[in-house]
Amino acid sequence: MIRTGTRYRLLALFVLPALLVYVGFSVYPLLSSVALSFFDTADGGSVFTGFGNYVYLFTDPYVSERFWNALRNSVLFFGIHLVVELPIGLLMAALLTSNSIRRSRGVYRTLLFIPATLSVVIVGFLWRLIINPLWGLISFPLLGDPSTALPTISLMSVWQYIGIPMIFLFTALIAIPDDILEASRIDGARAWSTFWQIKFPLILPQFGLISILTYIWTFNGFDIVYALNGSAPGPNYSTDILGTMFYRTFFGSSGQVADTDLGATIASVVFFIILVTTAAYFVVLQRRLKTYEL
Amino acid sequence: MRSKLAPLAALTVAAVGLALAGCSTGGGSGDGADVTTITFGNWRVEDASLWEENVIPAFEKAHPDIKVTYQPTGTDDYNAAIQSQIESGTGPDVMMCRPFDVNRAWIKDGYFDDLSGLDGIDGFTDTALAAWQGDDGDPYCVPIASVLAGFYYNKAIFSELGLKVPTTMAEFTDVLKAIKDDGKYTPLALGSADGWQLSYNVLDSLGPNYWQGEDGRLGLIDGTKKLTDPEFVDAFQAVSDLKSYMPDGFESLTYEDQMQLFTLGKAAIMPDGSWDVTAASATGLDVGIFAPPVQKAGDQRYLQEMPDQGVGLNADSKNKDAAKVFLSWLASSDFQSIYVDKVPGFFSMGSEPVEYTNALAQEFADLKTDALLTPRLQLDRLSAGTPPLDDDTWAVLQTVLNDGVSAEDATTTLQTNLDSWYTPAS
Repeated sequence: MIRTGTRYRLLALFVLPALLVYVGFSVYPLLSSVALSFFDTADGGSVFTGFGNYVYLFTDPYVSERFWNALRNSVLFFGIHLVVELPIGLLMAALLTSNSIRRSRGVYRTLLFIPATLSVVIVGFLWRLIINPLWGLISFPLLGDPSTALPTISLMSVWQYIGIPMIFLFTALIAIPDDILEASRIDGARAWSTFWQIKFPLILPQFGLISILTYIWTFNGFDIVYALNGSAPGPNYSTDILGTMFYRTFFGSSGQVADTDLGATIASVVFFIILVTTAAYFVVLQRRLKTYEL
Repeated sequence: MRSKLAPLAALTVAAVGLALAGCSTGGGSGDGADVTTITFGNWRVEDASLWEENVIPAFEKAHPDIKVTYQPTGTDDYNAAIQSQIESGTGPDVMMCRPFDVNRAWIKDGYFDDLSGLDGIDGFTDTALAAWQGDDGDPYCVPIASVLAGFYYNKAIFSELGLKVPTTMAEFTDVLKAIKDDGKYTPLALGSADGWQLSYNVLDSLGPNYWQGEDGRLGLIDGTKKLTDPEFVDAFQAVSDLKSYMPDGFESLTYEDQMQLFTLGKAAIMPDGSWDVTAASATGLDVGIFAPPVQKAGDQRYLQEMPDQGVGLNADSKNKDAAKVFLSWLASSDFQSIYVDKVPGFFSMGSEPVEYTNALAQEFADLKTDALLTPRLQLDRLSAGTPPLDDDTWAVLQTVLNDGVSAEDATTTLQTNLDSWYTPAS
């Protein structure tokens, strides 16, 4: 038996490499980006401005309008994923674990997961052609109407990533021991009530986790919108989300000069929003979900 | 399944290993001792083979001690890529400069060396140099090429319907109306999904005839004119009037879609820039080009000539002597005649005349005769703040076409946004 002090030192030694990489490539950039948001680096020099950039972001009529618009769009982008992707993912996972398709389970699982392995650019391009009003299936300009453009893009993203919650919930479902399910069958429960009263409560913690992961992914979302509509996503910024607004501000677009301080400010605000909601979720909800020993 | 894949995986690893080994030995030997290699950063991915096969070999033949590596980044990512490369000290030796405000910011941040005194830099007109000047008035980039904008038209459709090339806006409307009434073809290949082209290829092409080119553009810069003045409102109205001749579902048609519509022979007219002369005639269509029509017969004609590419010297370059030799060569007519000939659709900005072998490029160049030239309205000084007039115009033009916002409201929005940060330089 090694003494506790030595043991901790040994453990620290094993943790150190990972910790160094994490601090160097994740914590340090994050903190320096937050620090950058308190400075104004126009015209060569760098001046400390306190919360000046934040005040500007929330009070300047044009910039704040863009920000609130992007925030609203990000919420909608997440909302569509939450109400479409997760329930369908759950349904698919439930169907995959049901006995009716047991023989071709592997085929279905692979087919449903394939889109998640495709490049966003390819997915965007395919869907753009499918819904093209000139030679596509639908003559309505889905991507050109400000009220349908973002829901359309969100659904493309849902289509692509439906496999992720499906696989996630599928693995949770197959982990449920057969004896519990057999017991419920012997007690006379039908498939429907077995699912909602036995299986779903058992995978609820995983369902919660994939919800919050979806929240983090969509609030950090950027690629599908950028691939389809560039860094000033039209029509008239109706598909602009926080990620594209950050990119446009931080790196500049073809006609816009980059503003790294304001970009860092937006990044910090997004980080703060995600941090607070995620923390709140874990403190308020996830702790209350019952985990059962199986 | 897994066992079947194992040999394949081993093979892949071996192949990658071999390839890496090949790379490392290849990199070590190669260049002789006294050859300097300079890198050339730019956004013309599509011209890579033209530069590598025609332009750079011509330079290397004249200067055997210098090798040039062409290093392109897609145009959407170019600004971001250059900025991060320069900030981290890994920038290319010479690089393409964006015109006007973005470049002015880059000059201010010390990205470039001052090029006054470079051999050949005085062979350009002041308007050509103006796009790449610093606030001190010194040149920072060698002007390489400009682009023009106009209207491509399908000659077969025009002769089938007995139409004549329009020279006034009234004739233009008549032509569009005749094609629409005939019903067989889409009058105008134009979609509004890409905001930039509504601005660059339509408003900035038709508009100068309304705001009288430099008069209107410089008037906005020095504050004597406002976007709400009638000449600007009329120009926005002219764009808005095109709506009924655009294809169904134009709201979500992209720039690529409209090019297909035109090259498949399904649309009669397409507003576009000169950089597309090769693409527009790629399917063998008989294509012609006409200038933006004037308001009334006999009016002075204006044409958009946009300084597009300049090349500047990275202030942190370690090969400045070799880089300057390359830049001087770019300023010479030796380079210009090769470039505009091999990359049709781009036009020389030097004072010496150059001939174009591509017929469409020559047609575009001919549009310059008797026309007063003016760059795009939004890019000089008016896009150096937030919101930049450039991006703002893209979004506002989309609302004009997609949501039916009136020309008055559109110009009022733009002027209000501009006034929120811009103080006219007197």
